Amino acid sequence: MDLKRLFLPCSLLSLLAGPAAAQQMAATAMASAEPSAEPSAEGIEFFEKKIRPALVKHCYECHSTEGGKVKGGLLLDTREGSLVGGDSGPAVVPHQPQESLLLTAIHYEDGDLEMPPKYRLDDAVIADFEAWIAMGAPDPREKATTGKTPQLYTNTIDLEKGREHWAYQTPQKPAVPAVADPAWGRNAIDAYVAEGHAKAGVTPAPDADPRSLLRRLSFDLTGLPPAPEEVERFVSAYAENADSALGETVARLLASEHYGERWGRHWLDVARYAESSGKEVNATYPYAWRYRDYVIDAFNADKPFDRFLVEQIAGDLLPAESEAQRAEQLVATGFLALGTKSLNEQNSRQFRFDLVDEQIDTMSQAFLATTAACARCHDHKFDPIPMSDYYALAGIFLSSETLYGTPNGQQSRRATDLIDLPAAAKALPSLSLGEILDLEYQRDVLNETAEDLQAKAAEARRKGDDDAQRFVGRILFTRTQLGVVEGKLLEYTKEGSPRRLAMGMRESGEPFDSQILIRGEEENATEERVPRGFLQVVKTGDEKPIPADESGRLQLAEWMASPENPLTARVLANRVWLWLFGEGLVPTVDNFGTTGEKPSHPELLDYLAVRLVELDWSVKDLIREITASRTYRMAATFDAADYEKDPENRSLWRARPRRLDAESLRDATLAVSGGLEAGRPEGSVVAKAGVGFIGRTIPEATFDVEMPHRSIYLPIVRGAVPESLALFDFSDPSLTAGKREITTVPSQALYLMNSPFLVKAAEDFAKQLYGDRGLRGADLAREAFYRAFSRPPTEAEGAETKAFIEQFLAAAKAEGMPEDEARLLALTSFCQSLLASAEFRYLN
Amino acid sequence: MNPTLLTRRQSLQTLSSGFGYLAFSALSTMAAEKAANPLAPRQPHFTPRAKRVIFLSMQGGPSHVDTFDHKPLLTRDAGKPAPRGNAGLLGSPFEFKAHGESGLMMSSLFPHLAAHADDLCLINSMNTDLPNHPQATTQMHTGNFQFVRPSLGAWTLYGLGTENDSLPGFITLAPPNGAQNYGSAFLPAVYQGTPVGREVRNRFARGGDQSPVSNLANPKLSPELQRVQLDFVNGLNRAKLAQDQHHPEVEGVIESFELAFRMQDEVPRVLDLAGEPESVKKLYGIDGEATGAFARQCLSARRLAEAGVRFIQINHGNWDHHRNLKDGLEQNCAEIDQPIAGLIADLKQRDLLKDTLIVWAGEFGRTPHGQSSNGRDHNNKGYSIWMAGGGVKGGMRYGSTDDYGYQAVEDRMHIHDWHATMLHLMGLDHERLTYRYAGRDFRLTDVHGTVAKGLLA
Repeated sequence: MDLKRLFLPCSLLSLLAGPAAAQQMAATAMASAEPSAEPSAEGIEFFEKKIRPALVKHCYECHSTEGGKVKGGLLLDTREGSLVGGDSGPAVVPHQPQESLLLTAIHYEDGDLEMPPKYRLDDAVIADFEAWIAMGAPDPREKATTGKTPQLYTNTIDLEKGREHWAYQTPQKPAVPAVADPAWGRNAIDAYVAEGHAKAGVTPAPDADPRSLLRRLSFDLTGLPPAPEEVERFVSAYAENADSALGETVARLLASEHYGERWGRHWLDVARYAESSGKEVNATYPYAWRYRDYVIDAFNADKPFDRFLVEQIAGDLLPAESEAQRAEQLVATGFLALGTKSLNEQNSRQFRFDLVDEQIDTMSQAFLATTAACARCHDHKFDPIPMSDYYALAGIFLSSETLYGTPNGQQSRRATDLIDLPAAAKALPSLSLGEILDLEYQRDVLNETAEDLQAKAAEARRKGDDDAQRFVGRILFTRTQLGVVEGKLLEYTKEGSPRRLAMGMRESGEPFDSQILIRGEEENATEERVPRGFLQVVKTGDEKPIPADESGRLQLAEWMASPENPLTARVLANRVWLWLFGEGLVPTVDNFGTTGEKPSHPELLDYLAVRLVELDWSVKDLIREITASRTYRMAATFDAADYEKDPENRSLWRARPRRLDAESLRDATLAVSGGLEAGRPEGSVVAKAGVGFIGRTIPEATFDVEMPHRSIYLPIVRGAVPESLALFDFSDPSLTAGKREITTVPSQALYLMNSPFLVKAAEDFAKQLYGDRGLRGADLAREAFYRAFSRPPTEAEGAETKAFIEQFLAAAKAEGMPEDEARLLALTSFCQSLLASAEFRYLN
Repeated sequence: MNPTLLTRRQSLQTLSSGFGYLAFSALSTMAAEKAANPLAPRQPHFTPRAKRVIFLSMQGGPSHVDTFDHKPLLTRDAGKPAPRGNAGLLGSPFEFKAHGESGLMMSSLFPHLAAHADDLCLINSMNTDLPNHPQATTQMHTGNFQFVRPSLGAWTLYGLGTENDSLPGFITLAPPNGAQNYGSAFLPAVYQGTPVGREVRNRFARGGDQSPVSNLANPKLSPELQRVQLDFVNGLNRAKLAQDQHHPEVEGVIESFELAFRMQDEVPRVLDLAGEPESVKKLYGIDGEATGAFARQCLSARRLAEAGVRFIQINHGNWDHHRNLKDGLEQNCAEIDQPIAGLIADLKQRDLLKDTLIVWAGEFGRTPHGQSSNGRDHNNKGYSIWMAGGGVKGGMRYGSTDDYGYQAVEDRMHIHDWHATMLHLMGLDHERLTYRYAGRDFRLTDVHGTVAKGLLA
């Protein structure tokens, strides 16, 4: 008999038992809580003689305040406790032996509910309990003397059973299945996919044409369209030798700096990267961009993912061979510091627990696709994560210090220092001594003003002046300004040299274990502390103990990055698949728990996870292997019969037609119109705006800027994401979002028709072709189509283009527009049409 | 008549009959009986009581025992150990009083709304499957928390079409994150909700005077020239669609461009609140510090309803009161009370309330026992919403929870029942409103749902 299984949480029990049973259970719980009439003397005598001794002897050890345990939330040492019952429902329902779970348990009839756990009571004792309940369960006992409801925590999770879930099984490299048509496959991946085709009764689509394939590869690996000359080159090379043409192109694209800008951006979605605190106060994070650059560089350098993981969780604790490496590892820990924060929280303990919660939530979803933060207030309702596991993790982060900056000011009271990076890191331009003195002067004036106002307010209040209140706003305003100036001064030395600052983590000095907070309430801590540790459901076998004088972040990171961790490699392999195919093998990419979806191809997912580890966690190598498959090469060709069988394309019978994401759409628009600046801008718009509060000391419009750089470099301020991204389903950067949603709404059409960005891009595009290149007529149309769609226009499209220009010119003439102006406008309008068309932003 | 309008209409006709749906009809999974225009108004299954919906969505789980579910025993037993959980019962800090001729019990948080008590149909017996925000929110909007399914507004639009072809038929004002909540899933993209305006997260942020819809005019092209351009874009898109054979998203793109083109005229006219008389603005509380933002949304909703939009959703957040229940509720209710009351009064004086269904709902309620010293945890087993207008009985309380408000006990109303009832009010039989996909007929209510006849007027 497993003790823990007995006390399923109520809600889980209700799921198992069905709503009717749960309803009844709760209804009886309600009924039993009602006070009943005074017990009779005979009843009390029966209780004292027969029942109390039995309770003390057989039950109190686990179910009494004095025994120190409240297993399953059940107390049997008071009348109230018996009536109210535990997590499973009321133990005793007077006059209702059938309803009383206590009887069910002692009868040993229900395999899930047998008490006491180690032996069955004598029949005579059981009969006594039956008689007692039938007579109305008379019970003279008063409420527990403490007067306080007991607040002990008991674990309700069965870990062994939980480990049976597919995601916690160690991935095994499965035998490559034999397939009917061996000629179709190009590598092992295809064998698994072909097996799936056979099962689903679908026929794989033919290979994509080389133009579509190159376009797909270019966008998938770099987020940019291929240049027209690349298309020509690829088409002829592909005709000669498809495999080598493909392999060489993949190698070229992976070597491009644009690869990191594309794949780094994917990771930034997972890492909920943003440059402000969000929530109520929304203060800037002027140094967040360092983490962004770190991520781009890590992907470009193909940093092994296990290393990438460890650096983000515990980079500050790793040895470094150089100052530059040390700086890089410190910046990596920005991952944990970038989250949203309620800077206006008044209770510092509450703030701390919320901060830690955000870190646990992000980290567990990002690396483990596990919603560990669900276990903050109670055991996880669906996954095998007891509440104690949550607090084991919490202890690790509570023993660390999170440094994120932000100024103090009105409603903002949680400022921290930042990390000083070694001199190898990039720095802001210096300030002159004069500028520093000026800031110091501002600070002093604001300080004096604030003090002055405070004195006046106090005076007014003393006089009972109703106006005292009107000073409050001014004081707060002044303090906010002061916070911003102080924040700026913090960024420089007294001489005006910039401090090289970053957001991130450090050890707090005195590590400690966390208490469990009942219902997640900081004021409701248990006495009991949970040793710092990891999720118990995942045993890697190579876990290292957490030394008493360390937070445990390093050991946590190593546990996640262990090749024996069944989640980490699978979760990443699934993300890589999503980033190449537009859908994960597990569609719920951030949730591999029991409420997530199951993998469409479990063996393939296992294979990829094992391969990833074999490839030393090289993401580029995994990409090479996947893109070499026939599966990746399939066309998006529609087939009615296959669609009928599998409209979601989970069996991968064709390539999924995909819309470009917001960044690719914007970047491709710039690239095609010749306006894209390839390099990396220094810092960020947010860094230039500096410390402050968005909407208060810094206008929101500051961040709706246009710049010629790739979209990953646009400012990402929570609540003020640039329109070019927000309209096309950029994820809310407040939460981990491994997958974007897709909407098709008229506001997107309005943007493509009318926005200054598109209008300017179209003008640049037209000027390049018409002015710079001197193209005319069919030549111009051909070049434009090539740039936008990687193909020449069809004959019909050529004719339609011509007809469009003529119609446009006629209409413009009717409006009295001069011929030259009309012609350029017509060409511009033509170019914009290509950029706004569906073909431009849908990949086949 | 303006000749360009004729051209537009003609072009719309060619557009909607000439492509796409032909491809659709070749598929047996697609309903073959496609109307020429998928958004044209359609006959419901039976005579509707409501022609349109204004859905006031309260994100976070508003506490029912502090607003619309009066629980005297909870007040009496405050501080005693709760029958569930191991915290004490938390009495409501707000006083309940009877209002209107009906004597509907409402807490002191809604002084303005209380004046309309006789129009409200309180549903005290709501319940939903899970006490987690994301799942419960998705279930409230789509009926299903596990899979991606069309939203209530999308189903409504699919069932009824819309009255104004120059505005989206389903508009959601300043929605929070989560496009699934206004998505169309496997229904054609044209039934998707259109978000208008951004969620205002930062309470200190200023600058609410901007138009909620941007890019409404082209800086270079006259409408005539833009029409020529749009026809060309449509040609390109149609060619792609023909090439791809079946591509619902591209069909959605084509439709969204046509709609966007017409919105350029219509949106500025409909969403410009400047022309509203001062008395009306005052009624909604447009100049109020607390009420301003929500008042603008409510007044916009009325104007959209008048203009023929079928389904309008207004969103309000921050109802997740694990802590700070008293102040938090006071602030939230101060923001929405007057604007909602203004909306009801305004619709009534225009004789629109009778066929406009107003719904106020959060994704779940909160526990009768406390959390922290001044907060409540999530409770999905019993909570309250209300409806008004459009064929519901006013001044009525439908269903109830147990003595403390833990769970619905009488006339229990699950999300599916509520959805079935709303569709019924709009003249739609939830068992007949189906869409064939992946070899199955899908419904908003899956295989569940019972219309709550007891609350129909």
